[in-house]
Amino acid sequence: MKIINYAILILSIAIFSNSVLANEEKLAKEQEIQTKINDCGYKILNSNQIENRIIFTYDDNEKESILKNNKTLLDREVIIYRNAYKNMENIDEMAAFIAREIVIASRSYDDVANGFLRSLQIKAAPKKFEIVADKQAVDFMVKSGYNPIGLITYIQKTASQKRQDLISTHNLTSKRLATIYEYIYTKYPYYLKENPYFNTESYQNFLLTSTNNRKMLEEKIKNSSKENLKYE
Amino acid sequence: MNKLFVLIISLICFTYPAYSIEKDFIVEEFLLNKNIEKPIVNDNYNYQSTKRLPIKMTVLTPIKSEKDIFEGDNIELKVMENVFIDKKIIIKKNTICTARVETIIKNGMNGIPASIILGNFYIPDIDSNKLQNKYEKFGFDLSLLVYPIKWVLTPLPPLGSLTNFIKGGHAKISKKDIITIKYYPNQS
Repeated sequence: MKIINYAILILSIAIFSNSVLANEEKLAKEQEIQTKINDCGYKILNSNQIENRIIFTYDDNEKESILKNNKTLLDREVIIYRNAYKNMENIDEMAAFIAREIVIASRSYDDVANGFLRSLQIKAAPKKFEIVADKQAVDFMVKSGYNPIGLITYIQKTASQKRQDLISTHNLTSKRLATIYEYIYTKYPYYLKENPYFNTESYQNFLLTSTNNRKMLEEKIKNSSKENLKYE
Repeated sequence: MNKLFVLIISLICFTYPAYSIEKDFIVEEFLLNKNIEKPIVNDNYNYQSTKRLPIKMTVLTPIKSEKDIFEGDNIELKVMENVFIDKKIIIKKNTICTARVETIIKNGMNGIPASIILGNFYIPDIDSNKLQNKYEKFGFDLSLLVYPIKWVLTPLPPLGSLTNFIKGGHAKISKKDIITIKYYPNQS
């Protein structure tokens, strides 16, 4: 009987210590991710002389709860959920995500009542500010030394394609991608010419799926036109 | 044997295009033969001293509405007053500078105003990396008025939705508008 009791005791100690070790391992891994996110986020803030306080948090939950408030606008806290993180294959894609959120968070500091009204406008009409955030994210990334093509590959992988955007709160992803591509072409063509992501599957897929939009841009460049293109 | 050889060769010929990588015709057509420099990166910042100087400017030609300009346009600005560091003038009054129209946001429903975002400021003899490179001019914001009306009318459908049709003001930049950007002289 005594032997059985000892065996049970040893077994429970082993299980307990194993779970402690597993927890510590998980914590260390999360700490590593958090450090990477902080370094990237603060580098973007510093390089772009952004004087607003914004913090960055890694959240192990799969994605944002529908019931939760938007922390980026409300608390100026950029939260990276596991679902978003697992699609970040490189530091440029991480910078892309963070830079976009920084644009939104820093806009929430402007205007009436410490940015309350601006936050309300972004929340009420996200479609309007989506493309602005994409473009400014490109600027932020470039100034802090990240490759803006990361924004294209990240959106290509993570944002789904709706049927239409006429009566939607968001733009078509293809439209956003084409606008980012055009912005990079006009302002930072270096990154399109020297593109380390050219042969990646996600960028190749972007090229494949954006042919019509890029044809429109080709015509615009040929005609030296300035008009805004109506991307599909 | 010959048949097998022909079969293998024809299979390779037919399947080869399926594995070819997609080429970017825009890069090939417009960028490949150009010598393009890498954009300047600001990674040598040092905020031990956060001294910053405001540079006040005005537009040379007024912009009456966001509809009059296009994204990517360069506009000319004039420095309004001398900028000093240690009693030494670093930017003279009336110096002509340029800025790029980065983004135009059209006015929207619920009183959301239009806005013009200027960036890429160029001031002669000043390192652009040391400039806070963004200025945004908004149109008349009606949303502060529209949202409370909307919330009051929401219990009486569809009256609340009618406020959607109230649009915000157009963004204008007149000669009286002072465009202020910050200059960080001590940044490395």
